[in-house]
Amino acid sequence: MKTSTVAGRRYLKRFVPTMIAYVVVLFACVWALKELHPTGVALVTLSVLPALPVIGVIVVMGLYLLEETDEFQRQRIAACMLFGTGVLLAAVTIYGFLTNGGAIQPDPDIAIWGFPLWCGAWGIAQCVLTWRDRLAGDGE
Amino acid sequence: MNNRLRVLRAERAWSQQDLAERLEVSRQSVNAIETGRYDPSLPLAFKIADLFGLTIEEIFTNPNRKD
Repeated sequence: MKTSTVAGRRYLKRFVPTMIAYVVVLFACVWALKELHPTGVALVTLSVLPALPVIGVIVVMGLYLLEETDEFQRQRIAACMLFGTGVLLAAVTIYGFLTNGGAIQPDPDIAIWGFPLWCGAWGIAQCVLTWRDRLAGDGE
Repeated sequence: MNNRLRVLRAERAWSQQDLAERLEVSRQSVNAIETGRYDPSLPLAFKIADLFGLTIEEIFTNPNRKD
């Protein structure tokens, strides 16, 4: 993401600590689940905890869209997010029909990859648009 | 949408960054508008027109008008 605007810089200031929190919480929870073998409420809590920073990142992204005053940047980010959403929905639909038809076995861990897939598709869209800018002479 | 932004900017010896700072947008936005890849909103178009002391029609070509 471009950080040439105030909202972009604010986004990075929020995004980096949230992602660090995600890594720390994820490793701590994975360790606790393996070593402590919790049950009941503790198991549910430790399982859900790593999702909270990811939800935080989604909120940070939403705040960026709300706070960005540069309309071109906002339109561009929104378009890339929509592309990511389209890729994710397409992947989920294909996966659903593949499992429904018995072509592949359902994977209980697959949902974890939803957000990374969305982010990856967003990043690819961003790269393509940046490349298109370069071709259009965005180098002054 | 075609426009005279690059010419008007050049007449004042402003870089894209200079113009972007005056309009309070990013340089990428100025570039996208200049090259016709992005059509500014009405408020931004008015801001651009005010900055150059012109009307919107004197800067941007009306795509619905053939002449």
